[in-house]
Amino acid sequence: MKGRWEIGKKIGISLSVILTVFWLIPYIYVICCSFKPGSEVVAVPPKFFPQVFSVENFSGLFERMDAASFLINSLTAAVCSTVIALILGSLAAYAIQRSGAKLSTVLVVLVLCLKMIPTSSIVVPVYELICELGLYDTKIALIIVYAAINMPFVMWTMLSFYEGIPTTLDEAAYMDGASSLQTFKKVILPICKPGLATAFIFTLFLAWNDFLVSLLLTSTNAKTFTVGLAGFLSAYNLDLGPMCAGAFLFSFPVMAISLAAQRYIVQGMTAGAVKG
Amino acid sequence: MRLISRKTLLLFFLPGAIFMGAFLIYPIITMVIDSFYKIGITGNRTFIGLENYIHAFTAGGFLKQLKNTLLYIVIAVGVETAIGLLFALFFELNYKGSKIIRSLMMTPLMIAPLVAGLTWKLMMSSSFGIVNELLTRIGILSNSSDILWLADEKWSLLACCIADIWLTTPFMMLMILAGLQGLDSSMLEAAKIDGANMLQQVFYIKVPVIKPVLLTALSVRIIDAARTFDIIWAMTEGGPNSSSETISIIIYKTLTRYNDAGYASAMAIIFIVVLVAFTLIFMQSLWNPKKKIG
Repeated sequence: MKGRWEIGKKIGISLSVILTVFWLIPYIYVICCSFKPGSEVVAVPPKFFPQVFSVENFSGLFERMDAASFLINSLTAAVCSTVIALILGSLAAYAIQRSGAKLSTVLVVLVLCLKMIPTSSIVVPVYELICELGLYDTKIALIIVYAAINMPFVMWTMLSFYEGIPTTLDEAAYMDGASSLQTFKKVILPICKPGLATAFIFTLFLAWNDFLVSLLLTSTNAKTFTVGLAGFLSAYNLDLGPMCAGAFLFSFPVMAISLAAQRYIVQGMTAGAVKG
Repeated sequence: MRLISRKTLLLFFLPGAIFMGAFLIYPIITMVIDSFYKIGITGNRTFIGLENYIHAFTAGGFLKQLKNTLLYIVIAVGVETAIGLLFALFFELNYKGSKIIRSLMMTPLMIAPLVAGLTWKLMMSSSFGIVNELLTRIGILSNSSDILWLADEKWSLLACCIADIWLTTPFMMLMILAGLQGLDSSMLEAAKIDGANMLQQVFYIKVPVIKPVLLTALSVRIIDAARTFDIIWAMTEGGPNSSSETISIIIYKTLTRYNDAGYASAMAIIFIVVLVAFTLIFMQSLWNPKKKIG
């Protein structure tokens, strides 16, 4: 009986290793392609591993688009919008969670509904608004729009974290004469660091990975990397090599960070689902 | 004791509300108004009542896109759930190095949908794509151009689904793994003693335990699949011949290519109402807002 269980476990282990390798194939393929010479990427029949190692695609990428400044645009927009969304979102969520008012129930439902709105359907009124404000093709436009559309997500994540903090802490601070804002800043936020980290990483990736908003709101100055990358789509097959190099360059930091901060990502994904 | 007065609540909520009001609520209000007008390219508006809404549901409207969206949801989310469950059962095993394997498995989680779309577009190319080359080598296809994944109306939607499945199965697996942690091991032991086999253990003990988590994950995924844009845009832009066009894509196209803001607004409003209604109905059975706010 024991022996059978051991064999079963061994089969399970080998299967999970095989599945993982299988699942990573698309990614490994992109990495392989980015280190092939350009012509080999579109060779017929295709080879999985590079026959000749080359960094031609990376130099091609930087020749064909202003990759460095696109990356900087992506990074600035992502970081700034995340900071805004995090500060305002966590404050608002705290007030909603702690006030027992009927109004707060309405607000929670509102936040949930806002979180479900498909970006693709609201971008055009947003585009018109940004144009009216004279912010078209600026980083500020990207920052405020990302901050706004990611805020419901921050609030939703933080709500489930605040829930786990006993209200006696707030009461103690209140007794000591702290104002609501002081209680929030000095008592609640320090305890919520893991929650904030989770919301930060998620929102950062949401903004970094965004394509649609940047596609509509930018043209040259504030163009982000994803839009630049999509520019290779309409181009000829020759550009697929640089495209792979770009995809690799763009996703590598994301994968590195998500491996390092996996605890927070798992928390963010399952927030609210498990505790329910 | 009420910790936060109504005034403080509004004061704390206001800064965030200004952002959300300007870029989430205001656009929706604009669209509700626009949806009753016929808006020309020059911006001239004529009030036409409900005509845009009626147009959406008649031939030439968005019924085809609605069907595509539903198909996309059913295929992508269905397969993700099945594979995710299967993976979770394998990955639940603890052994030396299991953590590393699990971490590696979860790496696609955070990749940009656009990048996923581009990657699969490259892999599914008919001439130099690795997918068809592989299928030819193992003998499923006789020629690598037998299946034109992205150029054939029969396959294009499925191709987009495959990219989506690759990107989000790890999410399903993660949620199910989290749910399985709540499993009381004594229940499994008891079932084993009673002679339950592997399958019985999975379907009579594990699945009921993870049901709440599974339902939440399903609702999240259904909504995300419904609003998928980047993957489909990167792979096919909705083509060929609208065969992979979903509602997100048609709304965007109506606005930017056909310049019909009124009709696009009507479709967007229908879409938002359906998604919000779905969320509220789904969540209500699982989650009680009053309980959440103590």
